[in-house]
Amino acid sequence: MDFLPFLVTQCLNALSQAALLFFLGCGLTLIFGIMRIVNFAHGAFFMLGAYVGYSTVHWTGNFWTALIAAPILVGGFGAAFELGILRRLYGRDGHAFLMVTFGLTLVMGEVIRLIWGVEALQVKPPESLSDIVFILDEPFPVYRLFLAGAGIVVALVIWQFLERTRLGLLIRATSQNAEMVHALGTDVRLVRSAVFGIGCGLAGIGGVMAAPLVTASLGMAPNAVIDTFVIVIIGGMGSFLGSLIGAVLVAFVQVFGTYYFPDFALAFMYLIMVTVLVVRPGGLLGKEA
Amino acid sequence: MRLLLAAAALLALLPFGLPPYAMTLLTEALILGLFAMSLDLMVGYARLISFGHAAAYGFGAYASGNFLLHTSMPLPCAVLLAGLLGGIVAIGVGWVCTQATGISFSMLTLAYAQLLYAVAFKWTPVTGASDGLAGIPRNPGPFGVTWWSTHAGFYYLTLAFLLGAFVFCRQLVRSPFGAVLRGIRENEAKTIALGYNTRRYKIAIVAISFGVAGLAGALYAPFAGFANTELLFWLLSGQVLIMVIVGGAGTLVGPVLGAMFFLYVQQKLSSYTDSWALFFGVIFILFVLFMPEGIWGLIQSRFKQKTV
Amino acid sequence: MALLELDDLTKRYGGIVAVDHVTMRIEAGEVRAVIGPNGAGKTSLFHLITGVVKATEGSVRFADQDVSALPAHVRCQRGMSRTFQLTSLFPEMSARENTRLAAQARDAKRWMPLGGGAVFQSAAQRGDAALERLGLTHVAGRPAGLLSHGDQRLLEVAMALAQQPRLLLLDEPTQGLSVEETAQAVEVLSALFASGELTVLLVEHDMEVVFRLAHKITVLHRGSVIADGDPDTVKADEGVQNAYLGGFA
Repeated sequence: MDFLPFLVTQCLNALSQAALLFFLGCGLTLIFGIMRIVNFAHGAFFMLGAYVGYSTVHWTGNFWTALIAAPILVGGFGAAFELGILRRLYGRDGHAFLMVTFGLTLVMGEVIRLIWGVEALQVKPPESLSDIVFILDEPFPVYRLFLAGAGIVVALVIWQFLERTRLGLLIRATSQNAEMVHALGTDVRLVRSAVFGIGCGLAGIGGVMAAPLVTASLGMAPNAVIDTFVIVIIGGMGSFLGSLIGAVLVAFVQVFGTYYFPDFALAFMYLIMVTVLVVRPGGLLGKEA
Repeated sequence: MRLLLAAAALLALLPFGLPPYAMTLLTEALILGLFAMSLDLMVGYARLISFGHAAAYGFGAYASGNFLLHTSMPLPCAVLLAGLLGGIVAIGVGWVCTQATGISFSMLTLAYAQLLYAVAFKWTPVTGASDGLAGIPRNPGPFGVTWWSTHAGFYYLTLAFLLGAFVFCRQLVRSPFGAVLRGIRENEAKTIALGYNTRRYKIAIVAISFGVAGLAGALYAPFAGFANTELLFWLLSGQVLIMVIVGGAGTLVGPVLGAMFFLYVQQKLSSYTDSWALFFGVIFILFVLFMPEGIWGLIQSRFKQKTV
Repeated sequence: MALLELDDLTKRYGGIVAVDHVTMRIEAGEVRAVIGPNGAGKTSLFHLITGVVKATEGSVRFADQDVSALPAHVRCQRGMSRTFQLTSLFPEMSARENTRLAAQARDAKRWMPLGGGAVFQSAAQRGDAALERLGLTHVAGRPAGLLSHGDQRLLEVAMALAQQPRLLLLDEPTQGLSVEETAQAVEVLSALFASGELTVLLVEHDMEVVFRLAHKITVLHRGSVIADGDPDTVKADEGVQNAYLGGFA
């Protein structure tokens, strides 16, 4: 194979992977920025998105509906959980949050197992995206191009949302100084619930979009949360730009690493994680370790 | 102390007059109890939250499985050796994981477990890949003893390991080493300022914890007769953490009770519904919210109030 | 040969110089107070001496050995014990257990995983002795978190003392104490230092405490030493008066 087409296709591959990772990382970093907690259940929300996507496609036959329904359902559930349960924990030490979100992961894992079973589930991408295009004479799935494009679009949307809208402003302000925002008259609790919901919703979108590529399975949750954690550590906890950079970096390492050492994909993640935690526990752009 | 001797005596006498299936259940409860107790060393005494403890358990199971299948090593020796091996390997794992603290530490433990899980699927000669190891025998010996092949024999072997490990762990947490762990748990910065190299203590407790968990896994393999990737799955790591928290972290006894409670409810509920594990997840969240000291922790504090 | 020698000790955080080429000599048996307005770099200096933070430039010599590259817990093992500005104890352990753990750190067998009754006994002896010297024996059995603020500050000193250090570093021991508690603490500390066995480096804001306890005073301002000497000389120093009066906003 010629080098240039190979490079181009693998880069596009990496970009599509980066999109998925970005959905996850962005959500986690937003939640951390506001709530100063790492949502351990983030991988479970991703997984839930995939399964909800599967069922929606199954019932309606329409992928696009799933793309809208999944984040709303998943995000809504996330917001509800924050309202009902996480709110009670704000006074307590960090371990309580970790345990509860971990418990949530387990509960979600079991619920998914009960409803959908243990077998991995195939999700078909929509007809319009199932084709193959030829880039520099190399075949490349359209769906991955769609993913990469969707990632860029979502990144732009979120960026503008944070910069231009009132809620976005509130979110940025709260992540810097929650007390001040509260003193200025906003109910910070609502901002928190909203952000948790948005963050989980983003994870849900990631899940739906990932499903046609990786199939929906119970093993998604722990791997997703590890990937997400690595991205956010690299990019810095609480940094939107950081989650973008982290996603791209990790995606490139994963894609090229998997090509050259196919059996060691997971070992790679572990290695990256250890290296990052040892070298720069605060991340590259982060606020806090 | 007397309470514990009474409990030990009770456990020793229990098998008489029990049908085989009940004894099997009890044996499994003891194995899980040992597993949970090992996690308590990390979680309850050092506040090192591991989300991947199944890694230690599964490692022990595969290790003893291999010893028993491929050699004629006596059963108790295979179990001990597997546990020891698990502990030694865990020194390296502990060294890596303790590079970080807090949630980063927990993530590293999870990542390690996922790594082992993935490796187990690929390393066919040792793990049998997705089929796992089957037909694991209960090798006789030493001295030609074949008692382990019976329900009662295996039960008493397991009980011996559990009681032995319990005594060891109890001594450990009451020793100078244990006092340092307590310092780390309550205020690590101060412990360092006092001149302790806290990293070494953390690595040590991780290694001991993994070693004891390895013993539990090493007992499970000949108990069930098989070892497979289920023993490394993240949901199992979650379940054992639930046992520790619900039973009562930092008490050693609590987690054993938690394991028994878990197994009991599993048996009772699974005849009605498939969702017993879900039930436990919910209980776990409720306990973290409203009763973080766990069942045994609650009993202990009530008891202290009475005597004071 | 001084017990503690600081040479050109400097710490920079990006553009900020927290500690600026500090040179100090502290003799064995001396009680030295380090004073200065807020932000003068006193606690940073402590961090550099004890090894919590690595210096950008300069060196720390302790008992005629260069310890600049050693981590905090090793320097502590060599004989430096410190207290913190914000009370740092083991809140659920009793006062006795606190000092015992502190004393245990000096035992070669401090890590014993089994038995260790002898280790506990000797550590408890040293711990209890320290409690007594600080007048805390009556609260020995109480959980540290439940002690009064004044007693907690003294307990921290007791813990440092239980380690039988060569150099005792006290970071604002009377921080947050009421007038009575401060007076009480000064009495206790004064008696403690009277024996002359201890070498003490003391950071303090309260001038009366400083003049009661210190043999010599070093004044820091914006990270560097602006005066150094016995209390009367420092009191009269113009630079010091400027720093305190001029620098106060």
